[in-house]
Amino acid sequence: MAQDGTFITFSNVDLSRGNEKLFSNLDIEIRERRVGIIGNNGSGKSSFLRLVNGLLLPDAGSVNVCGLDTCKDRNALPALAGFLFQNPDHQIVFPTVAEEIAFVLRERRVGAREAREAAVQLLAAHGHADWADRPVHQLSDGQKQLVCILAVTIGSPRVLLLDEPFSSLDLPTRHDLLMRLDMMPQLLVMASHDLDLLAGFDRVIWFEKGAIRGDGAPAKVIRDYRASFATMLEPLRIAAQ
Amino acid sequence: MIGLYQHPPTILHRVSAGYKLIALAVLSIVCMRIGNVAILAACLGALLAVYAGFGKPFVRRLAILRPLWPTMLAIFVAQIIVADWQSATASILRLLVMVLLADLVTMSTRMQAMMDALAPLLRPLRMFGVSSERISFCVAYVIRLVPLLLEQWQLYADAWRARTGNRPGWRLIAPFFANILRMAGRHAEALDARGFGASRQ
Repeated sequence: MAQDGTFITFSNVDLSRGNEKLFSNLDIEIRERRVGIIGNNGSGKSSFLRLVNGLLLPDAGSVNVCGLDTCKDRNALPALAGFLFQNPDHQIVFPTVAEEIAFVLRERRVGAREAREAAVQLLAAHGHADWADRPVHQLSDGQKQLVCILAVTIGSPRVLLLDEPFSSLDLPTRHDLLMRLDMMPQLLVMASHDLDLLAGFDRVIWFEKGAIRGDGAPAKVIRDYRASFATMLEPLRIAAQ
Repeated sequence: MIGLYQHPPTILHRVSAGYKLIALAVLSIVCMRIGNVAILAACLGALLAVYAGFGKPFVRRLAILRPLWPTMLAIFVAQIIVADWQSATASILRLLVMVLLADLVTMSTRMQAMMDALAPLLRPLRMFGVSSERISFCVAYVIRLVPLLLEQWQLYADAWRARTGNRPGWRLIAPFFANILRMAGRHAEALDARGFGASRQ
């Protein structure tokens, strides 16, 4: 279970992307601590995450995060729901590591020195105090993604939304980052194609064309998902023989 | 010309940005007053020694002077025509000294520190509705994006070479810009996700 009062609720949500209707009458309630989102490309995983953080607003219905309505309280949402993107280079704003991590604090009017100290402390807690003044472009992809994680969690959001955050990383780095995330108190919602990684989560939701096709214990949902494309691939497999 | 922050840190990294900027201004003004070629050459020599003393990555930085040579040549020729070769040489030496001095400041100062030092000077802009924080944010962002854009171009160039075997040409420019625009959209979204500017709305 997530911390008290930490939850995400979708009520009757409709959402169109372009001319196509993606979600209609979507109802979901999330209170588990780690929730995986799976599904093929275009199934609605990213849109689902973006609805939670207010990057997308529902055409109808409502999305509620820890008591805030994403339509009405959009400005307060980023502090509550942090977002981690697939490509760290698309979200890092500052040339050096400590500046990047301190950014959210400075946006909240924390003084320059105080914000930097907090950033350096957080880096030290993760065993990387020496990164503080390193130029970001000298870091590896995994290191950049860790910087992004710290840059988001330093603002103490209650929910972390992760949109395929590990897809370009090697396996040891994926597990390293996931273990670090596991030690944090946030409710995690992670869209991913790494089914093995999600197997240890508390719940997995499977989207297909904007509808929930499976929802529940990871083992069962992931098995059903695998079975679905096995059936789809059957004619090809026969042709290949 | 945008010099980049250099790692590992040197003694200069520990001096506060404000002092460095003031020292730079004073030294540059002094430099303008010196007409003696020998003194200017000695200054340049001393500066080069400082770069060498900081180690290899700093010596490699001297490559930033390379794009300047056409301008230098033009100034040199113009000075010879309107004055004499001595003042022409002095002008070039002076320019080199000033550029290298300025680069010592950029390479040893974090962007945020530099901007905090400049903030009081930018403050009057507030009268015209321009926030000094926004300006410092934009400058930092540009510096962050330079290596990223170079990397993007390299990716395109590699893909081009892998498929054609030729050096990439002007035809890469359109897709490169299209990609940059897409990237800009992603960056905007990421800033939005972090609540950029929300505290000022």
